[in-house]
Amino acid sequence: METSRDDFVIALRSAFLKKGTQQRFSLLSLIFFSIIFLILGSFNFKIINYVKIGINEIVYRSSFIVSVPENFLKGSYLTIQNHKELYKENKKNITELNYLRGKDLSQKINKLENIKYKKLIDDYFIGENETVAKVLIDKQSPFLRSIIINKGSKNNIKLGMVVLDEGYLIGKIVEVNFFTSRVLLISDINSKIPVSLQPGDIQAIMSGKDKQEGVLQYVRGKNLSEINEEIQVLTSGAGGLFKSGIPIGEIDVDEGLEIDEDKVVNFHRDFSQLKYVKVVSFSKEKNILDLSSKNNSETLNEEIKEKNQQQETLRILIEQKKIADEIRVKIQKENNFLRNERIRLKKESKFLTNESVRLKNEILITKNNNKNKIEDDEIEFLKKNLYHGHKCRKNFINNLYKVGTPEYRKCVLKKGLKK
Amino acid sequence: MNKISQNNIIQNIQKYTPIILLFISVLNEFDFNNLGLIYFSFNFSYILIFYYSLKKSESLGYVYIFIAGLFNDVIVGTPIGISSLMYLILCGAAAYLRNITLRPSLIKDSIFFLITILIINSLLFMFLNFVFNYELNYFDQIINITYTFLLYFLFANLFDFLEKNILGNGHAG
Repeated sequence: METSRDDFVIALRSAFLKKGTQQRFSLLSLIFFSIIFLILGSFNFKIINYVKIGINEIVYRSSFIVSVPENFLKGSYLTIQNHKELYKENKKNITELNYLRGKDLSQKINKLENIKYKKLIDDYFIGENETVAKVLIDKQSPFLRSIIINKGSKNNIKLGMVVLDEGYLIGKIVEVNFFTSRVLLISDINSKIPVSLQPGDIQAIMSGKDKQEGVLQYVRGKNLSEINEEIQVLTSGAGGLFKSGIPIGEIDVDEGLEIDEDKVVNFHRDFSQLKYVKVVSFSKEKNILDLSSKNNSETLNEEIKEKNQQQETLRILIEQKKIADEIRVKIQKENNFLRNERIRLKKESKFLTNESVRLKNEILITKNNNKNKIEDDEIEFLKKNLYHGHKCRKNFINNLYKVGTPEYRKCVLKKGLKK
Repeated sequence: MNKISQNNIIQNIQKYTPIILLFISVLNEFDFNNLGLIYFSFNFSYILIFYYSLKKSESLGYVYIFIAGLFNDVIVGTPIGISSLMYLILCGAAAYLRNITLRPSLIKDSIFFLITILIINSLLFMFLNFVFNYELNYFDQIINITYTFLLYFLFANLFDFLEKNILGNGHAG
């Protein structure tokens, strides 16, 4: 008992007090040192704070150096990840681009065709005179909704010209002075505009009702509730006042669209926020069959043809890609099937080889058995021939069998017995 | 002459590999002790210090361990001196085990290591919680101890391999 306690003490003393080779301090002294550090640190001792600051300086710099390889790995990993994502995104973008190119082409074709047909029916207007004007007074009276703009007859403003705000119809010129003009807004109750409702191509007259709303009149008993989409209100061009197709507003499907109810049009523009407007007059394109118009029409036709061809090429390319993909998948499947078949046949051939070897061995064994049997028979015959041959052999006394004949052999095997 | 100086450099690298490893583990931004995973963390420094104090006490000087502890405290933000104290207690335990062991075996070493880190972490918890008012999670401590203990087997074999085959010190272990 005493000895084991001594051993424990010796081991402890050796562990904590013994200084190893090249060790300047013993473990115990360093432990005391760290305890002193802890205690002084908890009292915010100045020296400890300086030590802390010094270590901080060393640590932050060396930590940066030590972390270089790790940061490099991390950075490389992130770069690879980014590249991977970029690749995926690129693939997706290419598909989308192809799709949008096709869409854009068909849109261009539609536009050109539209112009062509409009020209055919003599309904193609071109912007003749465009003037940008500033809104001077916005008189928001409940009885007359109009604005004054800073352009007049001096700037070629004429009665009946169309006033647009970013492409949306807001009114028409009703009064022209030398420097100013008055615009009657479409929200005014006196403004009656022939409109067309899309989809459905329903014709109507729209009159102003409120600051932001108009109301449809003379819809001719059409039931708009049958149309489940949002209804766009555009100028119809009837009466020759406005060019057709200028957007005005829209009718919400949720609102009452029954036959007897008022159909309310929500304007696209906010008429209380007008600052600059565009005054435009449209005129029909002079459709004289002169050389230039003919050339124009030919160019247009050429353009349509070219676009059609482009679209067709694009479509063919997409089809080809689809077919190539399908073929690739098919070949891959076939390849897999053939690979499986090859493996199966290999297995079968191995099995057949084994079988043939087995059969060969069996035949050999059977042959050997047969040979042995014949030899045994022969030995038995010879044995019996020694003992009983004389009983069967033909001589001058008896009339038995000749040696070597099958009858003789039979007789010997029967030990010379006749029965 | 050139060859001799090259040999010296290699010998020095071989000699100081454990210390370099210890300082890298302390200074690196990639802290095994705080990987951000909920159910995985371990203290690589404990394993390294215990293994080398036990098997090759001359490779890690006590002063270096003390300084590494101070660095660790500054990086982690614990009161300065506490990590040094824990590292040195671990060294003391390893030295005691070395003195009383006649036939070394990995299982016995690891069990002693487990007991030591349990004591050390308890001491650390008591110091931080009761003296310095630090909030510590019991569960995280247990996870840390468990993985440090389990990974001791792996790292002990790894260091054995390193010492025997790469650094060429056949007598390690």
